[in-house]
Amino acid sequence: MKNFQIIKALSANSAVTSLSKEADAKFIAGGTNLVDLMKKNITAPDKLVDINGLDLKKIEFLKGKTVIGALAKNSDVASDKEIKEHFPLLSLALAAGASQQIRNMATVGGNMLQRTRCSYFYNTDMPCNKRVPKSGCGAIGGSNRMSAVFGASESCIAVHPSDMCVALAALDAVVTVEGPKGSRKIDFKDFHRLPGNTPEKDTVLDPKELITSVEIPENNFAKNSHYLKIRDRTSYAFALVSVAAALDLKGKKINDVRLAMGGVAHKPWRLTEAEKFLKGKEVSETVFKQAADLAMKEAVGYGDNNFKLTLGKNAIAEALTIAASK
Amino acid sequence: MSKTSNINRVDGFAKVTGAATYSAEYKTAGVVYACLVGSTIAKGRIKSIDTKKAEWAPGVLSVITHLNVDKPAGYKDAKDPHNFGQPLQIFKDDSIVYYDQPIALVIADTFERMQYAASLIKAEYIKEEHQTDLNKAKDKERKVDTKKGDDYHRGVVDGYKNAAIVLEEDYTIPTEVHNPMELANIIAKWDGNKPTLYTKSQGVEGTRRSIGKVFGIAPEDVSVNSEYLGGAFGMGLHTWPYEIAALIGSKKLGKPVKLVLHREQMFTNVGYRPYTIQKIGLGATKEGKIVGLTHEAVAQTSSYEDFMEGTVNMSRFLYNCENVTTRYRIVPIDICTPIWMRGPGEATGSFALESAMDELAYKLNMDPIEFRKLNYAEKDQEQNKPWSSKYLLECYEGGMERIGWENRKNEPGAVREGEWLVGYGMGTGTFGCYRSPTSVKAKLLANGNLVLQCSVNDMGPGTATMMTAIGAEVTGVSSDNVIIEMGKSGLPKGPTQGGSATTSSVGSAVNDSCQLLVKKVIDLALLNPVFKNSKAADVSFVDGNVISNKDTAKRISLVSLFEANKLQELEVENQSKADEEAKKYSIYSYSVHFVKVLVNPKLGKIRLAHVVSCADIGTVISQKTSAGQMFGGAVGGIGMGLMEVLEIDHRFGRPINNNFADYHVPVNADIEKQEVFFVNKKDPISNPMGTKGLGETALVGMAPAIANAVFNATGKRVRDLPITLDKIIETAKV
Amino acid sequence: MASKKTNENKVTPEDANSRRDFIKKSGLFTALALAPPSLVMASENKWDEKIAEYLETVPLSIEVNGAKHNLNIEPRTTLLDLLREQLQLTGTKKGCDHGQCGACTVHVDGIRILSCLSLASMQQNAKVVTIEGLSSGKKLHPMQEAFIKNDGFQCGYCTPGQIMSGIACIKEGHANSREEISEYMSGNICRCGAYHNIVDAIIEVKEGGKLI
Repeated sequence: MKNFQIIKALSANSAVTSLSKEADAKFIAGGTNLVDLMKKNITAPDKLVDINGLDLKKIEFLKGKTVIGALAKNSDVASDKEIKEHFPLLSLALAAGASQQIRNMATVGGNMLQRTRCSYFYNTDMPCNKRVPKSGCGAIGGSNRMSAVFGASESCIAVHPSDMCVALAALDAVVTVEGPKGSRKIDFKDFHRLPGNTPEKDTVLDPKELITSVEIPENNFAKNSHYLKIRDRTSYAFALVSVAAALDLKGKKINDVRLAMGGVAHKPWRLTEAEKFLKGKEVSETVFKQAADLAMKEAVGYGDNNFKLTLGKNAIAEALTIAASK
Repeated sequence: MSKTSNINRVDGFAKVTGAATYSAEYKTAGVVYACLVGSTIAKGRIKSIDTKKAEWAPGVLSVITHLNVDKPAGYKDAKDPHNFGQPLQIFKDDSIVYYDQPIALVIADTFERMQYAASLIKAEYIKEEHQTDLNKAKDKERKVDTKKGDDYHRGVVDGYKNAAIVLEEDYTIPTEVHNPMELANIIAKWDGNKPTLYTKSQGVEGTRRSIGKVFGIAPEDVSVNSEYLGGAFGMGLHTWPYEIAALIGSKKLGKPVKLVLHREQMFTNVGYRPYTIQKIGLGATKEGKIVGLTHEAVAQTSSYEDFMEGTVNMSRFLYNCENVTTRYRIVPIDICTPIWMRGPGEATGSFALESAMDELAYKLNMDPIEFRKLNYAEKDQEQNKPWSSKYLLECYEGGMERIGWENRKNEPGAVREGEWLVGYGMGTGTFGCYRSPTSVKAKLLANGNLVLQCSVNDMGPGTATMMTAIGAEVTGVSSDNVIIEMGKSGLPKGPTQGGSATTSSVGSAVNDSCQLLVKKVIDLALLNPVFKNSKAADVSFVDGNVISNKDTAKRISLVSLFEANKLQELEVENQSKADEEAKKYSIYSYSVHFVKVLVNPKLGKIRLAHVVSCADIGTVISQKTSAGQMFGGAVGGIGMGLMEVLEIDHRFGRPINNNFADYHVPVNADIEKQEVFFVNKKDPISNPMGTKGLGETALVGMAPAIANAVFNATGKRVRDLPITLDKIIETAKV
Repeated sequence: MASKKTNENKVTPEDANSRRDFIKKSGLFTALALAPPSLVMASENKWDEKIAEYLETVPLSIEVNGAKHNLNIEPRTTLLDLLREQLQLTGTKKGCDHGQCGACTVHVDGIRILSCLSLASMQQNAKVVTIEGLSSGKKLHPMQEAFIKNDGFQCGYCTPGQIMSGIACIKEGHANSREEISEYMSGNICRCGAYHNIVDAIIEVKEGGKLI
């Protein structure tokens, strides 16, 4: 790892200011992804701005929304009593990610910026447009068991690795960021982007901007929601496919529904068609299967990951069934 | 059960307090840090290598490549390049024979500076066409040019073809990697022309010999310390380039050099279980009597060393069969040399044989255990010898009872628990009992402590605990007062730890030396007036006292005995080896793994709801550590069965999942209910204690047990490991 | 010096290379030219590196197992490498160096974390407890005792991490069933496969009710 300068930011404002002065500086919070990437020489900043001292750790339950500070630890959010009560989907998704040690370090803001686990991105001897623009995509025509089935491009078929983000996408979260030009809000569904011709960009965040919080609007999904994660071993593995399913039921009738998937695209993948289809229908195995078919209609496999087309369907139906039966 | 059979692991205190010192952890004055930079191509030549930036980086002491290396003296004497056991001659020239082959050694004053400097090295290559795909290199298939590499025939060649019921299937296991938790690591230093290595070796004496050969010095001049190993599972059975590199660097600088591989390099530079394609031909009568068995294996090796293992061997003796053929072939490809990985070839072979046995049982519509019992081998037909002991049937019975075999239905998918399909399966493992000549020094001190010395090491199975248990049992000294000195050169010569031979070899030597020591004490005591007219048979050595059997008041303590004879200590060094009688018998351990799986066919999830591992390993010396080894072997087999595979992108000849996030090994949550059962009956022939060996067979048979259970649950037969969910979801009979 | 330091603080390793390059080369050059001997000495005694060392480090106050340390470290040094290579506390193990195995688990301010992914320079005033800090003399922590009694290990290499994790698992309230323990211990890989006994040990400590 290259040596670098490290400074501790005292306020969000000064953090943004000090970062904007440097050509190649980065914020660091939990460090679970950034330090790993620096060890692999995938990123090599000259300067780190340690933001752990900032007052961005709180979880606030306000009227109509809950605001989670960007520096709240994954484990703290996962085990927070009120989060568990109001947004069990988020708690489940967080607890399904990584290990408790990593969740104790990783922050909500950092998790949103987690980079892909695509093997070609991590192996620096391999071609990867995300790591080195214009070097090619190794996964296309290579080993692509983990790769995307939605929204991929000729430049990149990597997937976003976060579990938390799948839940936040389903819950219509909004991200607040602070930048040199002030603060702004970004809808979670717009926060991560598709690869297109610039897969090196994971999000719409400007490199000089700092995530300060994420807010989740109030909803009626607390009773009937589930996060289903399918992976190659029982724990401590990235999702092959995951589904966040949230139902607002009135008797058997589906008043409202949110569905999102992980492990299938460059960003957490909202299944809006399936949501529309389900809204107003009665809960049944058939309806859930139809929704799943609809959701996976546009999915395209790249060879090794073709199984995700079947697995995805089955997982959607399963997640809905579990959510409905809670 | 003897009173020493359930003692705690004797190195437990050191291990739970962090005091146990593994190789790279020895505090060494003036130690400097080194790492290896690997090639980015799989085959070709180094055109140029730019080391300037690294050399000028802060703290860098040296950068060594093929261009500036002082070649070890032994390089020029190297003989047949295909002779197994000859390590890759690192930095010998510009040739590249596998991806990540070390091309440079970077040494700096601190760890961080060394790491950074290494990232500055850039090489250019003249690429040659590589081949890392065994399936595409079959034209290079050949026999291993040794006696062991010969084909085996008994009765009619490929006689299975003539049977009434015939099964012919291919079974594939992928490349798997040992991946002990401790990274391969070494501290190397020189005193004149004599090197000292603190290294991850499973055989102190073997490492001395191979390092001696490379550097053209006598093995006696090589000091090796491998007191604690953080696991190895076979990867420590070879001398690897990193060890030679550290020695080259240390010699050049005249400083001790510490080199720890990255986890990524553990996948490319220190061996693996070879990708192997097997064919089983199995023929039986309609009544289920096996009449012919052919077992073929084609396995990968490197381009520079022929490696082979016992993949097809168990097919020659496990079941009663007149017509047996086995063939073993290797295919050299552009990848590092394989090395035995726990269970080694037998684990690979059992996946094919025991899957095929299950498949044939289905063809015969028989219970798979009934089928095996019907073909039970009463003697070893391969060697035409009687078994020394064989409690395989007891293993079947013990496992059936514990797993609840009576709940199994032969028809796949017939048992359900809620959403889950339930399947039961079993697989048999076996491994030969070997015994190598071993020297142990046993020493009694005046304070009553017993010291046992041997250069053998303990990579985790509990060798020190086993030695303690036997030493305490034979001498009557409390196990708390037994001191073990092991894992380094200069001690009486012990064997390499591998092939489940350690207890048989070292345990026997401890037993023999301790018996001689007790005799020596008694002989000395008999000279004392207290025991006037007594014979050796009249007295016993108990708790540090020689006591008359008839009159316990007549006694002499070790302290008085030593004082009277002006002794500080009393010692015996003795070499033990197998006797002629053992050669008349065929000696094998057996394991039978039983699993109950729950399968969600829609999601492909396979849960191991219950795992029962039974074994006939002769006498169980140490209950706790043996159970631990059996649990662990089963977990290793679960990894093999369900998740372990090193994926290589053959376009580049590079692995793509060479890290612990993407190469999956079992985690705690993969293990639900696990049980171990030992028959624990003494083998009358194997050795003085009647043990037969455990470490390898603990893993053998688990992977087919899982595959068979998955078939029983889903009707889906998986013949290529690992059984990942994608192989289940599409085709399972829901 | 102070004003120069602010300037020099931006030194990148590339700069450091050219700086060393400059001093070494000019050292050689001036030696030939019989120039002031101080530069030659600076080069030969590696003072350039000593200066660089000073400029490239940051001060760190950290408490490890109750002992306070005031150190100067490079910002890039991880807590794991600080413990193992500088403080000689080798009980904390390096298994992967990338947060994929749990062998390096330690407690920082009472929370279990991975020391391989923690920059030591970000642990200002932190209280770190490693495996060496659990026992005192022959007196073991209940979790250490339980690991020995239940044989929760074989080779012992993942053991310090397992024990640190096991203690935290109970303290966090994640040890209420075998299943829950297994899930919350899954960040600690044991290649010897001692999981069954590790869970037994944790259950024993949980049920034993001793202060941990």
